Amino acid sequence: MNVKAMQKKWLELGVEVEETEYAKTGYDFSLTLPAEKVHALAEVMLADGFYLVFVTAVHALPAIEVVYQFALASSPRCRVMARTAVRADGTVPTISDIYQGANWHEREARDFYGVVFAGHPNLVPLILAEEDVDLKPLLKEEKNLKDISALRHLPAEAEPKEEKAPAAAKKEPAATDKKAAKPQASN
Amino acid sequence: MNVDVIEDERQHQFVLNMGPQHPSTHGVLRVLLKMEGEYVLDPQPVLGYVHRCHEKIGEYKPARAFMPNTARMDYLGALIYNQGYAMLLERAAGIEVPRRAEYIRVITSELNRIQSHLLWYGAYLLDLGAFTPIMYAFDDREHILDTLEDICGSRLTYCYCRVGGVCKDIDDKFIERTRAFIERLRGRLPMYEKLVNGNIIVQKRMKSVGNYTPELCARYGVTGPLLRAAGVEYDLRKAEPYSVYSEFDFEVPTEQQGDAWAAFNVRYREIEQSLRIVEQALDKLPEGEVMEAKVPKKLRLPQGDYNCSVEAPRGELSYYLVSDGSDIPYRIKVRTPSYSNLSVVPEVCKGMMIADVVTSMGALDLVIPEIDR
Repeated sequence: MNVKAMQKKWLELGVEVEETEYAKTGYDFSLTLPAEKVHALAEVMLADGFYLVFVTAVHALPAIEVVYQFALASSPRCRVMARTAVRADGTVPTISDIYQGANWHEREARDFYGVVFAGHPNLVPLILAEEDVDLKPLLKEEKNLKDISALRHLPAEAEPKEEKAPAAAKKEPAATDKKAAKPQASN
Repeated sequence: MNVDVIEDERQHQFVLNMGPQHPSTHGVLRVLLKMEGEYVLDPQPVLGYVHRCHEKIGEYKPARAFMPNTARMDYLGALIYNQGYAMLLERAAGIEVPRRAEYIRVITSELNRIQSHLLWYGAYLLDLGAFTPIMYAFDDREHILDTLEDICGSRLTYCYCRVGGVCKDIDDKFIERTRAFIERLRGRLPMYEKLVNGNIIVQKRMKSVGNYTPELCARYGVTGPLLRAAGVEYDLRKAEPYSVYSEFDFEVPTEQQGDAWAAFNVRYREIEQSLRIVEQALDKLPEGEVMEAKVPKKLRLPQGDYNCSVEAPRGELSYYLVSDGSDIPYRIKVRTPSYSNLSVVPEVCKGMMIADVVTSMGALDLVIPEIDR
């Protein structure tokens, strides 16, 4: 699979593509996209032969970020991290209709963070018990919560200072209301 | 063999509860089987019985203090889990590992892989009703455990790797015993083949049970021996050669049929390849330190996210760490191979006879604590 051709497809989708240094980060591409495009990206990924490594979430400000990892089952490798911010109503479209393996990963993210995956066929607790449906154990306390820009790689030449946020963080939807950004449990 | 089960409107259906204590689930996995007579209509695994909040624990203590937890996820591939986590932190902090330590990691990891495969070999055949092989497999496995115990201090839940190397150098006795073991197992493998692999009953139990295709594996994220049984030559030791694996000559066994028998053969042949790697590593073992001296006591990880994937006995293990620049991780995610591998059960086992479900799940080589974490 031609890397350039894949990159072009992602850019056509309107995804922000950043090439990363594998030796430093452990993955080759970092994609940042709005929640609406997740489904389309998953379709492209499956068509290009990527398999799903995992789906998880990271609790940060202004909104919870859902992280997808895809990889090519071939040599040479290609490992892609895709990230999207949860929408203001606490939802992200499911990709479990494309990647059936995402079914469990999304249920797990729902258990731990309360992210609602819209269109998921069976969003009931998987790892946690049924009575713990509202526990959301991996949500952080207010005092430990960091802004998403403080969790991004700093540009190679920059000094580790807070003021210089990397380019990838700028495209986060500006969810101003903190409370609204927190997802609600729907079931 | 999967059949299209026709739902009978006269309602001859019932739900059969397999586990959490069923022996073929190897731990505490529960599977709810919706049955139509002897055929399975809808198998649904129920997880969470050994959930121990490893990811949450990881957010509460310094990154390197998470090392013992990694061994407790997959107790059969503990050294490989150790190695993967150490590599993740070394990648994040930019620490170089001495070459001797890398070689020792490879040797111990491959021994660990062999013992994991041997345990699976015995236990799987036991599930299928062959009692004898587990006695032989445990006999061989015991030699590995004894050898590793001398050097790592424990038999199952190792914490041998450290950030920047390994905690203890190997000695001549270890090398001698490992060489003797390679010799021994090579002598025993033809006996295994005679005892089991050529047995027509074993073959008939496994052939055409499960139908893994590369496309199905991609949709579910199935990796490891099952993916290779479907004909995809994908092994992270070759595809993303970490540590010093690129310096060894070994093959990636593959099969084409994508059934339990293919997975059985792939795993069995991997034992030989692991022996080859250990032998070469012992031959080429460099002198020197086993621990990088300049690892800071308080290990600060530069902000950003890091990924590290290694080939565990059951497939791809990925650690994903998000750091805010302090020494305590902001988030640790562990992607375990059995989790994705087990998630195919509702699709693959649909329409099977109940005895084939046992065969099919055994071929997954499940370790439940790594699924639940």
